Amino acid sequence: MVYTKKSPALFIIGVIMLAIWFTAGNGMLDGYMEHLAAGKKYKYGAELTTIPLWFGLLSVVIGAWQWFGSHSEGAWDYYSSSVAGAMFILLIAMLVRWFIAPEVAVISMSMGKVGDTGKYIHKLLGLNYVVMGIVTGIVIVNVFKVPEWAKNGVRVSRLGLKTGVILLGTLYSAAELKNLGGLSIIMIGFFVLGSVGMVLWMGSKRNIPNSMGGVLSAGMGVCGVSATVASAPVVQAKSVEIAYTIGTILLWGVGCMFIFPIIGNLLGMSYVQFGAWAGTGILNSAQVAGAALAYQPDGIETLKVAEIFNITRVLVLPIIVLWLALWYVKREESVTETVNVGQVIFEKFPVFVLGFILLFALSTTGMFAPANHYKGKYFDNTKTKLLSPEQAQQLLSESNKVQVAERQAALQRLLENGKIMSIDDDNTIRGLINAKVMSKDSNKVLKKAHKAVRHTAKKIKAFRNWITWLFAFGLVGLGMQITVSSMKQAGGQPAVIGGVVGLTKAVLSLIVVMLIVGETV
Amino acid sequence: MENNFDRGSALSIFGSDRREDFMALVLALVIAFGVYFTY
Repeated sequence: MVYTKKSPALFIIGVIMLAIWFTAGNGMLDGYMEHLAAGKKYKYGAELTTIPLWFGLLSVVIGAWQWFGSHSEGAWDYYSSSVAGAMFILLIAMLVRWFIAPEVAVISMSMGKVGDTGKYIHKLLGLNYVVMGIVTGIVIVNVFKVPEWAKNGVRVSRLGLKTGVILLGTLYSAAELKNLGGLSIIMIGFFVLGSVGMVLWMGSKRNIPNSMGGVLSAGMGVCGVSATVASAPVVQAKSVEIAYTIGTILLWGVGCMFIFPIIGNLLGMSYVQFGAWAGTGILNSAQVAGAALAYQPDGIETLKVAEIFNITRVLVLPIIVLWLALWYVKREESVTETVNVGQVIFEKFPVFVLGFILLFALSTTGMFAPANHYKGKYFDNTKTKLLSPEQAQQLLSESNKVQVAERQAALQRLLENGKIMSIDDDNTIRGLINAKVMSKDSNKVLKKAHKAVRHTAKKIKAFRNWITWLFAFGLVGLGMQITVSSMKQAGGQPAVIGGVVGLTKAVLSLIVVMLIVGETV
Repeated sequence: MENNFDRGSALSIFGSDRREDFMALVLALVIAFGVYFTY
């Protein structure tokens, strides 16, 4: 069978990409970019003038060959035929990232921030490239159908997702582990494993497919999209099951984000208690941050604790994948025969999760950024410019406004040394900025002092970009495999199970937090 | 979709999950070293 379709499609996709590159490079899109940037600098200017050029040229060349060349059966024909579909997905991912997602953000920002959360509605609802990529894919497949020439390429999308998960390892480092107290590890371990076990148990009671139960358990137990994507191949989850899981997690998080702060205030929880609860009960990172900021808009203590809990969950991911691999084989292959655990691990454990661990290990060595980085941000004050006498005077004149002892001490050290001296002081100064107890001018000086010691590792920034692209690419393709009939077939069971497990976890973790957590974790 | 292809599966162009995993690993390492030497 010859797979390559003699179609002008890929050639046309290449021309469209080149047109984007040309119009952006010649300033023809400047007005629109200004609108999308909403008063700031448009973030994707550099991408628009490079990425579409290279992929446009590639598409035009291969597209011309596919259109006019002669094709015969073989491996080359099979693999190269997927380029058209892959470029189709990439073009849609480009449109989502550069134009659609920013447009949604502009509309959302015009509606103002939501209550005390300090965040806009698109942030709280998680309306980013992840959701928009999947939705765009679903719309295309259900309204227009995936064209014949693109069908082979749609199946490349999972390769993109797996590569993205491996690269996720670069964003974390084992140095983070030293921030974790024993209680946070025990709590996260208990609730992650408990949620996974409960979803699997409920799934079997309610007769949902093993693949659906498996992927939902990882999503509900660990944390959102990455865990869902990482566990999907192990349990052979269908695209619609992955999308259902992501939808359930995001919807659950939206509800929690509004209800958690209300309950926290009613119970008079401390910042540490609330941070531990939000970090355990809410699944999506942005939503955890939203709830923490809603609870403590004038500081970052809650957010810090919630983030620690959030990171711990990601690090449990390989263990969960291993568990699901064993569970799935036991359930699917033979109920009567004894399963050889070693053999199952060897045969089924996904190599790409080992890749995640490998890059996590490389990141820990400090190969990509100083070993103490977290998501590419690190503290370094060795080459920091000192405060000018005027700046120091400005801060000194208002130092009496600061009432909290810890903040007073951090400010004092900043004034004595002319720069922030430790990562703890930096966190305290950030809290002081958020609290807005000093004037705008003083806050400006504090922000400068903070920025002078916090650095972003260029390599990690580049990795983040790659991961975003790979996920956007993979999720658009994933959406293209979801038809309305497959959604009907999956039914409403995942949402019911997700809701019950989520609620149980939220209530139990609230009880544990109230009973055990004090002022530290 | 499966019937249209005599190789791979509905979700992947590769013959097995493991082969796809290795391709993803190779791709990720190429990107990682590319980033390492470029930035």
